[in-house]
This record gives sequence, C-alpha cells and structure tokens, in this order.
Amino acid sequence: MELNDLKSGWQNAGGAFKSEADLQKMTQVTHHPSLKKIRTKLIIETIGLVFFLFVYYDWFDGGKKPFSANVLLVSSLLLYILNDVIGYISIARPIRGINLKLSIQNYLTGIKRISVFSVIISFLYGISIIVFLTSVINFTKEKKLILAGIIVVLFQMILLSFKIWTKRIKNLKQQVKDFNLDEEK
Amino acid sequence: MEKEFLKTIHDYQKIIYKICRVYRDSREDQEDLFQEIVYQLWKSYPAFKRESKVSSWIYRIALNTAIAVYRKSKLSIEYYEEFPEHIHPSDEKIVSENEERLFWALRKLNDSEKAIISLYLEDFSYQEIAEIAGLSETNIGVRLNRIKNKLKEILK
Repeated sequence: MELNDLKSGWQNAGGAFKSEADLQKMTQVTHHPSLKKIRTKLIIETIGLVFFLFVYYDWFDGGKKPFSANVLLVSSLLLYILNDVIGYISIARPIRGINLKLSIQNYLTGIKRISVFSVIISFLYGISIIVFLTSVINFTKEKKLILAGIIVVLFQMILLSFKIWTKRIKNLKQQVKDFNLDEEK
Repeated sequence: MEKEFLKTIHDYQKIIYKICRVYRDSREDQEDLFQEIVYQLWKSYPAFKRESKVSSWIYRIALNTAIAVYRKSKLSIEYYEEFPEHIHPSDEKIVSENEERLFWALRKLNDSEKAIISLYLEDFSYQEIAEIAGLSETNIGVRLNRIKNKLKEILK
C-alpha cells in the first residue's frame, strides 16, 4: 500500500452505522460507558455518608467524644463528599482548551490537583474515623492490634489510590511531552 | 438544538468511527470511545459558534477525547505485529482488507502522531492542522515528514 492510497483509504473508511436514535442515547450519562458507573458509585457513597452524618452522634456516642473529634469527623466527611463531586465533574470534562495541546495540558493540571486533594482528603477521612472511634476508649492488647490492622488497611487503600492517580498522570504527561516535542527547540 | 446536533453527528459520524479505530484496538473499546466522543460533542455543542468548519470541531473534540480519556489497562498482547497478507485493491473484500491494513499501520503511531496524520489524511491544510493541534505550521510540516517515513517503514 502506497502512501498516496492512504488518503483515499482514510476518506472512504466508515459509514453511517448509527441511527439518530442511537446517537441520542449516547448524549445521556445513563448510557455513558464509564461516567454512569462513577456517578452511581458517587450517589451511593454520598447517600451513605450523609446518612452516617445524621446518625453517628446517637449510634456512636458522639456526645461522649471530645468536641474536636466530632468536628474532625464531620469536616473530613464533608470534604470527602465535596472532593468526590469535584473529581467526578473534573473527569467528565476532558475538553479544556481551544486546541489539543492546550486542552491536554490543562486537563493534566486539573487531574494533578484533584489527585493531590484526593489522597490528602482520603488520609484525613481515615484518620478522623480512627480518632473518633478510639477517643475515650480503654486500650487492651487486642484493641491495639485491631487498630493497627485498621491503620494498615487505610494506608494500603491510600497507596492504591495514589498508584491509580500516578498511572493516569503518567499517561497524560506522556501526551503533553509528545505535543511539546520539537516546539521547545 | 438537539435535533440539529443529532443530524450533524449522523452526517459526520464517519469521522468519529475512524478516530475510534485509530485510537482503540478492540471493538468493545472502540464502541465505548464512540459513545464517549458523542457525549463530549453534545456537551461542547452549545459553545460551538460555527466559526470553524463542523469537521474541524468534530475532529478537535474527538481527538481530544481519544487522547485524554483514561484507557483501561489490558493484557500486553500485540495482536498483529506483522500484517498477515499483501493487499491487492481489486474487489470489495480486498478493499476492506486494505482498510484494515491502514488502521493497523496507524495504530502503531503514538497519540500525537495519530492526531496529526488523521487530520492530514482528511485533507486539512497545514494551517488548519496547526490550529487544531495547537502547534506551529513549521512543526506540523516536520512532524508529517517524520510520520510519513514511519508509515512507509511500517507498510513495507
């Protein structure tokens, strides 16, 4: 195949495979391949966390815990929900500029910012739950072991989240690098 | 507005189809990307002022989406390291094989190269390619030469 054939091959490729009805479905989040799942997860998580905020004071003896532990728990939960919502909006909007180079650079900057906040807030969220549950408690050897286990799981989850973000950022950095090639010379 | 949008995308869907075939290997991933692109086009449609050609706008959004949207990691299997047969453009079946060979070769390029060569193959001018990509015309010229040589090697 000669290079000249590529143009005609390209221009003749494809067809009108999708009907307008098919295309109309694709404009909705409910038919989106990934956003649909992320949005469902976000809604379930938010409902669960808001429910927890309403009941934790009675169910987990919020009145017997220090005021600071209550404030830390409530603020970290609210931050966690806020970060989830901002993360969703950010991922759903990859078009960030008038051309490819600018858009991908801006998208990378946004994703980097979200990843830092996400890891910090997840850490704060985990710590606040541990602080809340362990304040005003008599520690036995078993309870200390359980606490150590919870901390290990928490760090594993944060590490996993960090790795996922790093992979995504590495991929975007490579795209930005490719677009900047030769331009910097 | 929705009717007008759907008619436009219906008429220009070949572009989306081609971008999906260049940027994704499996049929399932291509279908997912197609949906993602239509969704992003719909979201950006209100801001489209028709100052540029419809095809330029679709290419910009489609390429941006294909490059930026995170790809699911998969097993590192190279399906077609070498294309199986030589192609003789004489009948329908062969034409389809030719098309397959074209996309196979294009998939060997990196993402920015895929964007530039797609625009070139669609017959956009260097100036239009430069505007969509956000690069200078000189840079587009240099890159296109490099990409053409790379494709010659791949298709040898």
